[in-house]
Amino acid sequence: MTTTAENTEQELSGEAEARVFWKLRRRMLLTSLKQAVAGGGWLRFALVAVLSSILWAGLFGLFAEGFQFVQVTITIADTHDKLVGGIFAMFFAALMLMLIFSTGIILYGSLFHSAEAAFLMTNPVRAERIFVHKFQEALLLSSWGFILMGSPMLVAYGVVSGSPWYYYAVLLPLMIAFVYVPASLGAVVCLTLARLVPGNRVRVILLPMAAVLGLIVWFGWSLTTGQESDLMTPNWFREIIGRLEFAQHLLLPSWWLSAGLLEAARGVWSESIMFLTTLVANALFFRQIAIAVATRFYRPAYSSVRGKNTRGRRKHMSWIDRMAMAGMIFLPKPMRLLVVKDLRLFRRDPVQWSQFLIFFGLLAMYFFNIREFTYSMQYSVWVNMISFLNLAVVGLLLSTFTTRFVFPLISLEGRYFWILGLLPLRRRTILWSKFLFAAGGSIVPCSALILLSDLMLRVSTDVLISHQFTCLLLAVGLSGIAVGLGARLPSMRETSPSRIAAGFGGTLNLVLSTLYIIAVVLLTAVPCHFSLMAEKNQVASKWIAQSPTVQAWVQSWLIFGTFASMAMALLVTAIPMFVGFRAFRRMEF
Amino acid sequence: MIEFNEVTRRFGKKTAVDDLNLSIEPGELFALLGPNGAGKTTTIKMLVGLLRPSQGTVSVFGNDLSREPRRAAGCIGYVPDQPFLYNKLSGREFLDFVGEMRGLDRRTRQERIERESENFDLDAFIDNLAETYSHGMKQRTVFASAMLHDPAALVIDEPMVGLDPRSMRLVKDLLRQRANEGTIIFMSTHTLAVAEEIADRIGIVTQGRLHFNGTLEELRGEFAGGNDSLESLFLEMTNDDNR
Repeated sequence: MTTTAENTEQELSGEAEARVFWKLRRRMLLTSLKQAVAGGGWLRFALVAVLSSILWAGLFGLFAEGFQFVQVTITIADTHDKLVGGIFAMFFAALMLMLIFSTGIILYGSLFHSAEAAFLMTNPVRAERIFVHKFQEALLLSSWGFILMGSPMLVAYGVVSGSPWYYYAVLLPLMIAFVYVPASLGAVVCLTLARLVPGNRVRVILLPMAAVLGLIVWFGWSLTTGQESDLMTPNWFREIIGRLEFAQHLLLPSWWLSAGLLEAARGVWSESIMFLTTLVANALFFRQIAIAVATRFYRPAYSSVRGKNTRGRRKHMSWIDRMAMAGMIFLPKPMRLLVVKDLRLFRRDPVQWSQFLIFFGLLAMYFFNIREFTYSMQYSVWVNMISFLNLAVVGLLLSTFTTRFVFPLISLEGRYFWILGLLPLRRRTILWSKFLFAAGGSIVPCSALILLSDLMLRVSTDVLISHQFTCLLLAVGLSGIAVGLGARLPSMRETSPSRIAAGFGGTLNLVLSTLYIIAVVLLTAVPCHFSLMAEKNQVASKWIAQSPTVQAWVQSWLIFGTFASMAMALLVTAIPMFVGFRAFRRMEF
Repeated sequence: MIEFNEVTRRFGKKTAVDDLNLSIEPGELFALLGPNGAGKTTTIKMLVGLLRPSQGTVSVFGNDLSREPRRAAGCIGYVPDQPFLYNKLSGREFLDFVGEMRGLDRRTRQERIERESENFDLDAFIDNLAETYSHGMKQRTVFASAMLHDPAALVIDEPMVGLDPRSMRLVKDLLRQRANEGTIIFMSTHTLAVAEEIADRIGIVTQGRLHFNGTLEELRGEFAGGNDSLESLFLEMTNDDNR
């Protein structure tokens, strides 16, 4: 055996290195698939597939109805096309912003704080190869929700507008090419900030957040100031189209995606292909930029981030913890201490709360800007519908957070579960503490957001109370689902919350949560909507107002909806928690 | 050879490694000792390219870790104190991945995997998924992966953590054997008996500074007592009053 420095210096070419990493991925994927099939996993797979299909079909139906409504309401083809173009451009612009953030945040964790990155750094691997390897993972984790939730909307548009076959053919390539652009930008921001301000994770995350929120305030302001027209009038539509124009800037990749889809839907395939090639070229270009930045910055940034000075903690409890302890005075002390422990972990991980802050901040900005939409009270039915849609959006956002942060809570105890397991506590107490942490943490921001939306929309007090009540039901139910399923389907060996959330259990959690939100909102919103229509005695709803039988039926539905949603909240909290308790009691460590 | 040239590493205001000058020749087994927080792990992390010095240079066979990290990493095999394996790969697949990443051809990889599997007694579990391994099994597999490419320098952070007595004997014999064949062994450890048994040279670091660098005999000579064990010498030297 020879042990000289020379005989070990066999460097792989870039292509050979890429092949080695693809082989690694293929092997791990195959193992996971084999395990899924061998361990009765096909049943799990089938369950998720069926539930996802139901969710997909539900969203498809909802979007199809929406597009149908727009088509019927706006008969002028040009205005219709412009409005749909504006909505698509706005939707994809918002999505682009979210993808920049989520990819950047996921990458920050996986490039600078994962054991795999440390292992690869000590091997003769190119920095850019490690980056690409982790980038592909971050891209998948940040965009799978977009593919799942965005595809029913786009397919629904295709069906309603009678699009030709190539609309469906370019749909996926356009979406994939598009997500590469914001993801690459997020990667560049992440690497640059880690290189330039490595010492403070909070600053790394807050700097871009502050910049983007500033931009949103400016855009929001310019979008909504001086709104004069009444709702749903041609002038109103024209004003809205005019104010959405900033999202249709010719240099925005989100507009290329929007334009590519709309051109395909119109049957102008050559234009659509042009936008597809523009997106692909830019996706490759931005990916190369990100790789070039990684080549230069990754290793020094890694050293700086890992070598940062850690600030000493104060010996005493912080005021937040003291307030939390005081607020839960009615609970047993062990439970309070467990909740405060989770609160501290959450607070000290900016990767977690920054996502929470960004997405809720975006919604708050949107709700805050609603104040500028002036309308006369005859449009209160529309306003009421918007308020319920806002409620559903907050619920859906909350469900992504319970999936991303609450569902993995038990799994993340992982190898340290014995610490909790050996404490003189009943396991039931541990699970209840997670539930309280999740429900308590969800209710406050969601209620505040919904209150803001309702105040801006000037809905009636009855509706406002009903929304707050629904919000409570959503927070409790979604927390119950996430904690219960998290205990029933844990991934104890996984250390990345994103991967835990993207697995079988996380997907099941997301699907069940979405179905629950749709059910609760429909149970409370639909009767309320019809009741208001009857109350306002609108032309379209004269049949409701004039028929005492129908009115009585709507009233019964209102009462039934309230009780049914309460019963449903109780069930979706109790059943998963019960299942979780049983599994958690049997869990070994 | 391994060279630390006026190396300082600061974490904010704290100096973890202070003006370290050290060189280790091929065939030498060097043990770095020191109390918790003395700067051993920081020194090792600079040696394997995870951290860059605030001042000075670290080089392995002439390759500066900050400027040519890939070439330097090519000469090194590294065993961290917390072993990393891919849960969804078997031990054999992991070794194959590491071997391929290090540019070994298929035949050489197969031969070396067999060789290291025998050396570290991996046969019983090498084809099981790593997610089923105990800490000791993982540690042995990582040892095997670090030796797969016959590195010119082997860097080990706490080599005996999680190993059973039989595996400890095995590792000690292998390290000694590799050093005799010309490999540089750089290890940091709290297990003084291991350093006493197999190290050619010992470095004792406290509060970031290298306070002693020499053989066990030189250490004994420096401190009164003649035949004292390394443990008593270490305790005497790292005692606050003596620093």
